[in-house]
Amino acid sequence: MNTLALPAREARGMSPAAVAMWLLLPIALVNAVGFLWPVVNLLRMSLNESEATGALIDTVSLATWRNVLTDSFTLELIGNSIGVSLFITLLTLVASYPIAIYLHRSSGLWRTVLLVLVIAPLLTSAVVRTYGWIAILSNQGLVANLLAAFGLAPPRLMFNLTGVVIGLTEILMPYMILALLSGFGRLDPRYEEAALTLGATPLKTFWRVVLPLTAPGMALGCLLCFVLAISSFVTPKLLGGGRVFLLATEIYDQAIVTLNWPVAATLSMIVLVLFGAALALYTRALRRIA
Amino acid sequence: MMSIRPDEIQGLKQAEGFLSLRGLTRRYGNFNAVDDLNLDVAKGELVAFLGPSGCGKTTSLRMIAGLAPSTSGHIVVDGHDITGVPPYRRDMGLVFQSYALFPHMDVARNIAFGLEMRKVGKAEAQERVREAIALVRLSGKEQHRPAQLSGGQQQRVALARALVVRPSILLLDEPLSNLDAKLREEMRNEIRDIQKRLGITAIFVTHDQMEALTICDKVAVMNHGRLEQLGTPLDIYEHPSTAFVAGFVGRINRLAGTASGGLAEVAGVQVAAPGFDGRVEVMVRPHRVSLSAYAPPAGDDRYALAGTVARATFAGDILEYEVEAGGVLMKSEAATRGGEGVLAPGTPVILSWHRRDTFVYAAS
Amino acid sequence: MTTSVKLAAAILALGLLTQGVRAQSSITVMGYSGLFQERYTKAVVEPFMRAHPDIQVTYFPLPSSAAMLGNLRAQKAAPQADVVIMDVSVSKAGTDEKLFDKIDESNAPNVRDLYPAARIPDVAGVGVTFDNLVMLYNAEAVKEPPASWMAMADKANEGKVVIPGIPDIQGVSLVIILNKANGGTDYLKDVSKGIAAMTEIAPNVQTWEPKPEVYVPIVTGQAVLGAGWNARAQVNNQTSGGKLKAAIPQEGTVFQINTINLVANGPGGEAAKTFVNYALSPEAQKAFTESMFYAPTNTKAQISPEALDRTAVKFMDKVIPVDWIALAKVRESIGEQWRRRVLPASR
Repeated sequence: MNTLALPAREARGMSPAAVAMWLLLPIALVNAVGFLWPVVNLLRMSLNESEATGALIDTVSLATWRNVLTDSFTLELIGNSIGVSLFITLLTLVASYPIAIYLHRSSGLWRTVLLVLVIAPLLTSAVVRTYGWIAILSNQGLVANLLAAFGLAPPRLMFNLTGVVIGLTEILMPYMILALLSGFGRLDPRYEEAALTLGATPLKTFWRVVLPLTAPGMALGCLLCFVLAISSFVTPKLLGGGRVFLLATEIYDQAIVTLNWPVAATLSMIVLVLFGAALALYTRALRRIA
Repeated sequence: MMSIRPDEIQGLKQAEGFLSLRGLTRRYGNFNAVDDLNLDVAKGELVAFLGPSGCGKTTSLRMIAGLAPSTSGHIVVDGHDITGVPPYRRDMGLVFQSYALFPHMDVARNIAFGLEMRKVGKAEAQERVREAIALVRLSGKEQHRPAQLSGGQQQRVALARALVVRPSILLLDEPLSNLDAKLREEMRNEIRDIQKRLGITAIFVTHDQMEALTICDKVAVMNHGRLEQLGTPLDIYEHPSTAFVAGFVGRINRLAGTASGGLAEVAGVQVAAPGFDGRVEVMVRPHRVSLSAYAPPAGDDRYALAGTVARATFAGDILEYEVEAGGVLMKSEAATRGGEGVLAPGTPVILSWHRRDTFVYAAS
Repeated sequence: MTTSVKLAAAILALGLLTQGVRAQSSITVMGYSGLFQERYTKAVVEPFMRAHPDIQVTYFPLPSSAAMLGNLRAQKAAPQADVVIMDVSVSKAGTDEKLFDKIDESNAPNVRDLYPAARIPDVAGVGVTFDNLVMLYNAEAVKEPPASWMAMADKANEGKVVIPGIPDIQGVSLVIILNKANGGTDYLKDVSKGIAAMTEIAPNVQTWEPKPEVYVPIVTGQAVLGAGWNARAQVNNQTSGGKLKAAIPQEGTVFQINTINLVANGPGGEAAKTFVNYALSPEAQKAFTESMFYAPTNTKAQISPEALDRTAVKFMDKVIPVDWIALAKVRESIGEQWRRRVLPASR
């Protein structure tokens, strides 16, 4: 290997480190233009102020930050968003795990068919899928009619938190399943067989062997779904009926309806901080698992 | 575990061993992976399941462990039919080809796992884990993760993990195939020593005849899902009951011939073939074929055949000749002793071998 | 060297020539997308281009006034749009940010014929359409036009009411109407009576964010009662074959004003002013009112009686005057009361 690499290096006059730098350059540029620059702009916008009419006051002050952070509504929003997103993440994990395990163990054409079925919803926009849920959950929808057929009074399934949880869970499941699958690499059926022959019941085998081995996939899936849940606003807007208050929907209202861009920017920065916290938590969890 | 009424299944009446397989069969569609396997293993015996890949030896082992379902037949351990018992209540220790050590646990916790599942007290468990680690000479490695160990060390942990629960039967699935040649020989003897010291009944699945012959009390040779022969290594080698066993265990010369009236004619030699009629295969191991300049004296119970050297191969410890005789190529080999010359191709020679070294089978 | 100079000269000459031949300017009008774009293009933009063949008008559609303001903010250094049609409170924000030039008699003579309500102090643009809040109802489920907004609080309508809630100004409008009906005097100081009335309606509300628009669930029968804007309600009444109907209940209604604004330093120059003046003319006002039933802002517009019936012009006595600019200053406090009192009552 080395003898092969040496002439190439001389010919190009470039060390492997330099090659790596060059290869990283495009993504670094894309990130700088597509992520860092907008974030810097947001940060700058959060230092502006807004008049009651919505008119933007170009300034540099922490007034908006102070107002947002001392408003009890903001704290409620943050608490709500974290709580709801965590709950949805957990529900998504519980609903996706058996599917991912089954997919992991299936093979051949059947596996391909199942994988396509899992990925297919991602080819449809979340808006369209949310409208699908409206059709299913509305008080004249599928679920309500089914319950009515059994003589049961249908509960309110939509235009409240229940609807948001149901809709977002389904929308996030493909992401969770794919993340779980990608993390199931270490899950060799031999480990389960070893546990069984050592006297572990299937339940014990699951708790002591399967679950720990799939923990990295679960951590990744939870991170992904938490971040997607806390930043989603289309589904909460469509299924929440104006009763569910989350950071993302408030950012939308502030930016699009109330026109208070500095507040919207400040709330966006808070979401970014929450992302950072989730990422830090994930990294710590991963280190403990490994 | 449920007990079996003696009259319940006819086959069980003859269950003599500590482990008995009765008509054990595993069918996939039209294909019989294991076909009507009948076998008895006595207490404390080490029995090899030997055969080429796909012969059904691993499937048999997995059925014994309860990891694969059987289509029909029975598995009886110590008088109890365990055919329908789930693996976690079978009391078997299984060492996997890939070791299957839990990657998220260190050595000590891997070994303690089975004890924990059996709810063995903490103090006793600790003591037994310590003993098991000492038994496989891994003291000091307790806190290591499997990934930090060499192949041989992982093998030892797998062995200790299977043994620490004191299973009624130890099952080893190609345990040495992932090790290099030198380590393989060392581990093979170590497994044998530990098995004898503990007096545990064990089944050793392998495709390597050397492993089977050298360490096992008995060898079960399998082919196409069927048991070809069960016997001591000596039996298997010196009295192979089928052409497959003769060909699979050790090297052999295969000569085609025709038998009639108790004699078979191969390469111009008349070989005793009582009870055979029609096309036969006559086999003789190369190192039992001697090569000399003169025919053996009559009445020496040897068959002899004149030919010429086609090729000589010097391999250090042995010298192998291919000799053309009576229209066929025959191999002869002998241990080198030093001082002998190597015959040039074309040299006329006489091949001879003892009658008792001659195996005759009906041609398939 | 010489050839390239000749070539450059030729290209330059060609450029001058084509410009001379076209001899026309083009302007960009920013406005609402969807139905508004479709009808406004037919009723105003196309007749304007026929009358002014030298001016090419491009309609740039956006879903909301806020999106328009966002675009204008982004283009502040080099504006792409010339004329913007947006809600009055947003155009106040734009005015404060110096995005617009003042429109008056000097650059758009038709301004002198506008209703006083169409000239808003401290806003650079002028009113181009009037709209008003109406009570929407599904004609199959509700036979008689509801007499009161409080019909939405009727137990029989549980889960059948749709209202675009605050921060949408339809929700704000409803609070102001109910505040006055319940004895409130100055909505800029106190809307608690309006909020209290809303808490009675809240338990019946199916959604505070009807999507895609409040009219759709009423047409489909998913909901029975609602609050929406008159112009769109009238168009939906036509397109749904009468399934959706609109009424102005006894408590009255409020006006919503769309203004037309001249973008400061827009690329179109004089042509933009020509368009603004046309948009305010009696003929353009008549055409658009008869097409989409916004009430005209020009006093001289002669509207057909059928179209007039669909506007609030005949119910001017029921219109509660609202100072949207002053209201903007207390909007946050109204929103707070809405969140604390109305929404909990609707869970």
